[in-house]
Amino acid sequence: MIYLDNAATSLQKPPQVAQAVLRAMQTCANPGRGGHASAARAEETVYRTRSLAARYFGLEPEQVCFTANATEGLNIALRTLIQPGDRVVISGLEHNAVTRTLAALGAEIEAVKAPLFDQDAWLSGFAAALSPQTRAVVCLHVSNVFGAQLPVAELGALCDAQGVPFVVDASQSAGLLPVRPSDWNAAFTAMPGHKGLLGPQGTGLLLCRTQPAPIRYGGTGSRSRDQTMPEDLPDRLEAGTLNVPGIAGLGAGLAFLGAQDPAGLLGRERELLRYARAGLEQLGARVWSGPGQVGVLSFQLPGKDCEETAAAYADRGIALRAGLHCAPLAHQTAGTLTEGTVRLSLSVFSQQSDITAFLNATKRILPLA
Amino acid sequence: MLDMYFTVRSVTPAQKGRDALNRAGVRCRMLRAPRAIAQNGCAYALAVRAVDGQDAALLLDRAGVETEGAWQRLQDGSFMRAWV
Repeated sequence: MIYLDNAATSLQKPPQVAQAVLRAMQTCANPGRGGHASAARAEETVYRTRSLAARYFGLEPEQVCFTANATEGLNIALRTLIQPGDRVVISGLEHNAVTRTLAALGAEIEAVKAPLFDQDAWLSGFAAALSPQTRAVVCLHVSNVFGAQLPVAELGALCDAQGVPFVVDASQSAGLLPVRPSDWNAAFTAMPGHKGLLGPQGTGLLLCRTQPAPIRYGGTGSRSRDQTMPEDLPDRLEAGTLNVPGIAGLGAGLAFLGAQDPAGLLGRERELLRYARAGLEQLGARVWSGPGQVGVLSFQLPGKDCEETAAAYADRGIALRAGLHCAPLAHQTAGTLTEGTVRLSLSVFSQQSDITAFLNATKRILPLA
Repeated sequence: MLDMYFTVRSVTPAQKGRDALNRAGVRCRMLRAPRAIAQNGCAYALAVRAVDGQDAALLLDRAGVETEGAWQRLQDGSFMRAWV
């Protein structure tokens, strides 16, 4: 199979990820709960991943909290900052992980709209939308539908100047673009561990530069006599037994990435994306692309339903994703809410031969339209 | 003998403190804090030589590791609060 659905989850991982998962399952007990060797091994495994992540993202280890996925991290961030009726400014590209959470919280949402790949227009849109009533700004770093990159550093500076907490969803950028919460003045930065960071599913990170409110309560192995959750991070957010095998695998993914040349990885992915775009356009597909695009390409084949298109690729052994990609707001912004798009998304393991095979399949699928 | 104990609230700051001490060449062992010095339930301790106590306190502070207390382990196994 040719796997080009990495924006959903990366499937190809470095072999050391699975090895680390297995090793943790076989040797690690419950971290932070006992003094015996297998508990200590679990503690060291978890701390190694936490420290690697801290170095990778320019933070202290205790600012790195493990979550089950980016969605959980975003839920924590938004539930910390938002009360019913609060006004929240978001990009018009946000995922349901943000929009559904805000809806559940009863927030008043203002979604900024701009041409997908025009970073200046996004920045101007946010600047115009901010007001003294704004309680938070939430923005993704890279769109999971279109690969558009948003100017989070500049947005962070804008929020900082106005004293508004800034939340970043780095789901599609972590592992590919520099993610620097301190440089962005981001109160919270959420990401999955299982996409660009190459860890297993069921892992995620919430990078905290603001004290969060827990959404889960229970044992932490610390301050046991207190019946309130500890103030200290990461314990405050990590009640219950951690996913130690998953965290071990995530650590192996981070170690792998740490040994790569980040600029080289990004350049290679962009080159593959350009190749895919040029090939699709030559074949008459409608393609969404522009400056700063990262890792993700949406397209439509003329006269063909996007789900049927993706099914036709799947029949030919090529994994893509079609539909609304859990981001109806992004499709609304792009004008594709009715028909949806087909999405191709890359990873560090994507090859030029994968794109060539994809384009060859496209040639065979097109006459069926 | 590692007979000076610094209590730390949980495992992550304990690990961070241990690494800071190790990097500075201060011999240190991380362990679950004995009940007698775990004032608020479960906690961790960093044990160092008494002679390193002052340096350790400074290094932990510089590393941003908040300690709950410092304790001297006596010959009979009991603990006495230490002021470093």
